[in-house]
Amino acid sequence: MADNVIRVLQHTMPKTDFVRLCVITSLAVCCTLITALSFSRSIDFISYQLFFIPIIYAAYFYPKRGLLVAFICGVAYQAVGYYYRYPDYGALIAVTSEAILFIVIASLIAYFIEKIRFGETRYRSVFEHSQLGIALFSSADFTIRQTNSRFLAMLDYTTEEIIGMTFSSLCLTPMEKERFLEKISKTKATENFEIRLGTKSGAGCWVNLSWNTIDETTISCTAVNINDRKIAEKLNNDNMMKYSQLTENSPTGILIIQDGAIQFSNPSFSVFSGYSNNELAGKTLDEFVDSCDRNEFIEFAKHWSENKHIHGDIEIRFVTKTGRMRFGALTANSIFHLEKPATLVNIVDISEKQRLSDKIREDNVRRRGIIITVAHELRTPLQPILGYLNLLISDPQGFGIVEETKKILERCLTSVDRERQIINQMLDLSVLESGKLQLSYSTFPLESLVKSVLDTSGYLSKAEVTIDIPESVTLTADKDRIYSVIDSLLLNAVNYSKPPRKIKIFYCSETDDTQDHISVQDNGIGIEKSVFLSIFEPFQLADAAKLSRRYDRIGLSLSIAKKVVQMHSGDITVTSTVNIGSTFTIHLPREMQNAS
Amino acid sequence: MPHKIMLVEDDLPILEMMEILLRRIGYEPILVPDVLDALRQIKAEQPSLILLDIMMTPMNGWEFLEKLRGEYGMRDIPVLLFTASPSVEEKIAGLNDPKLGVLQKPVSIIELKAGIEKFLGK
Repeated sequence: MADNVIRVLQHTMPKTDFVRLCVITSLAVCCTLITALSFSRSIDFISYQLFFIPIIYAAYFYPKRGLLVAFICGVAYQAVGYYYRYPDYGALIAVTSEAILFIVIASLIAYFIEKIRFGETRYRSVFEHSQLGIALFSSADFTIRQTNSRFLAMLDYTTEEIIGMTFSSLCLTPMEKERFLEKISKTKATENFEIRLGTKSGAGCWVNLSWNTIDETTISCTAVNINDRKIAEKLNNDNMMKYSQLTENSPTGILIIQDGAIQFSNPSFSVFSGYSNNELAGKTLDEFVDSCDRNEFIEFAKHWSENKHIHGDIEIRFVTKTGRMRFGALTANSIFHLEKPATLVNIVDISEKQRLSDKIREDNVRRRGIIITVAHELRTPLQPILGYLNLLISDPQGFGIVEETKKILERCLTSVDRERQIINQMLDLSVLESGKLQLSYSTFPLESLVKSVLDTSGYLSKAEVTIDIPESVTLTADKDRIYSVIDSLLLNAVNYSKPPRKIKIFYCSETDDTQDHISVQDNGIGIEKSVFLSIFEPFQLADAAKLSRRYDRIGLSLSIAKKVVQMHSGDITVTSTVNIGSTFTIHLPREMQNAS
Repeated sequence: MPHKIMLVEDDLPILEMMEILLRRIGYEPILVPDVLDALRQIKAEQPSLILLDIMMTPMNGWEFLEKLRGEYGMRDIPVLLFTASPSVEEKIAGLNDPKLGVLQKPVSIIELKAGIEKFLGK
């Protein structure tokens, strides 16, 4: 029976409670027996105070049940007292008041214990549920005594693992540990000490520590996880570093202009302008622009305040601190600087490019001068040769020239003519390349132009020429130049084919085509694909050897023809099959013709 | 009486050749290798036409032409610029002188004849 009761009790309460219950019960029973014995033997020195042992014990651990224990003990004490002391009223009153005292004492104990318990629970709750990590450690050797769950979660430890470790050993690196020890040895209370602790896996975790001594031996330390903030800060710093490296080392001059004044300039712009950062700050950019370009620049900068993203670019002359002129290509973009709209200006130093292009222009002018002089010098000695040859051939009998000699002289004359032609082509080409040639546009029927070329050139006697051009087709172009282009293509067709030569000139454009296409087709030797482009290039030495074998007398006429058509915004293309023939096609845009 | 043609030209081989050529096509050449002499002789000789080189010293063909037409008042004498320099045609187009033409060196006997006949007739 008793075994069953014990089993049931053990079942319904924790082990410690069961043990305490046994202790209280046995103490109370002992007190009752001892009191009964002392009353029966009239041993006065064993007093009722014995009962306070189980009562205080019970009230300490179980404040409310302590009252019950006090009540039971009071009843037991009174029962024993009444049994032995009756009818001594004085003694009975004393016993009753002593029994009441049990309850009063138990109540007082219960009250204070409750109060203490409540405070402790509150603090424990705060401790456990705090958003801060809290650790209590020894002030002597920094051994951790207690931590809350937040602190454990921060570093990924369990309570069992962390208790007994020293706080300083949590620091990630020896350097951080040293820093922590130095700080804690100096001050027993500190706030906002940022340090990196190591998690269980060895990763770093930035925390903000504040500590304070609770008593002589314990330090309470709170930790706030600032890892995310630190990582963000680091990223931000890295970004700032990257940007500043970019701007510091950029070969492009970079300026930030706000409300018209320079807010930022990078070293490249200082190198470009000769002014230091401080000298540039607060100035307006147009102060550094050469007076020739200032109006253009101000016009360009006017649009900066409009909130367009990109404002295009412009080439501007700047005057440096030393008074030198420098060319800069300038690009402007709208940005935000310090949360206000601003303009980011990039300036690329193109002084060298400008110098080179000026030099190229000068060189071109000089080259043209040389070509003109050379042409003059080459033509002059040809005059006596041509004159004398004309003279001899015009009167063979008078000069006693036989038929065979006359033929030789005529061949000489042909060569002089060719040389004359080459010099003329060279001059033509130099005019075309200088870009100074003005086309004089007119509208003319294509078919009659082609016919007039054929009539004056004498190709009809050398080849069978067919024309397939609708009578209604007209071109709007420089008639004389197109005449010479068609002449060159026909000459080319005759030169690079053998009798029986068949040349076809045809027009092939649809009504809605944007271009007119005029083709000259021959049945000549054809052109290898590899030299399709080279045949249009004047004096291409690299290809000269390749070209010279088959196409030894190309001259400059094709280059000139192509340039002329390109000046009309058109082009000449070629298709060819070796030993079958070639087709050269002139493409002239119609729109261009209409526009003019 | 054949037409007198004054040839102002400082290149002697050309001068010698042109003398024969001009005679051959039926004109009487007056050869002047020094451009200053040409100005001195022009009133006395009264040529029917002047063949004028351009690149000469100490006075070039353009300066000679200016003096001839201006200072000397000889606006009616046809002048054929006889030159190896390119782009002379563009320049004379701007002068608006009906008695001015160009013969581009080297010139053939046919071109020479045609050029002179344009001003003097056959």
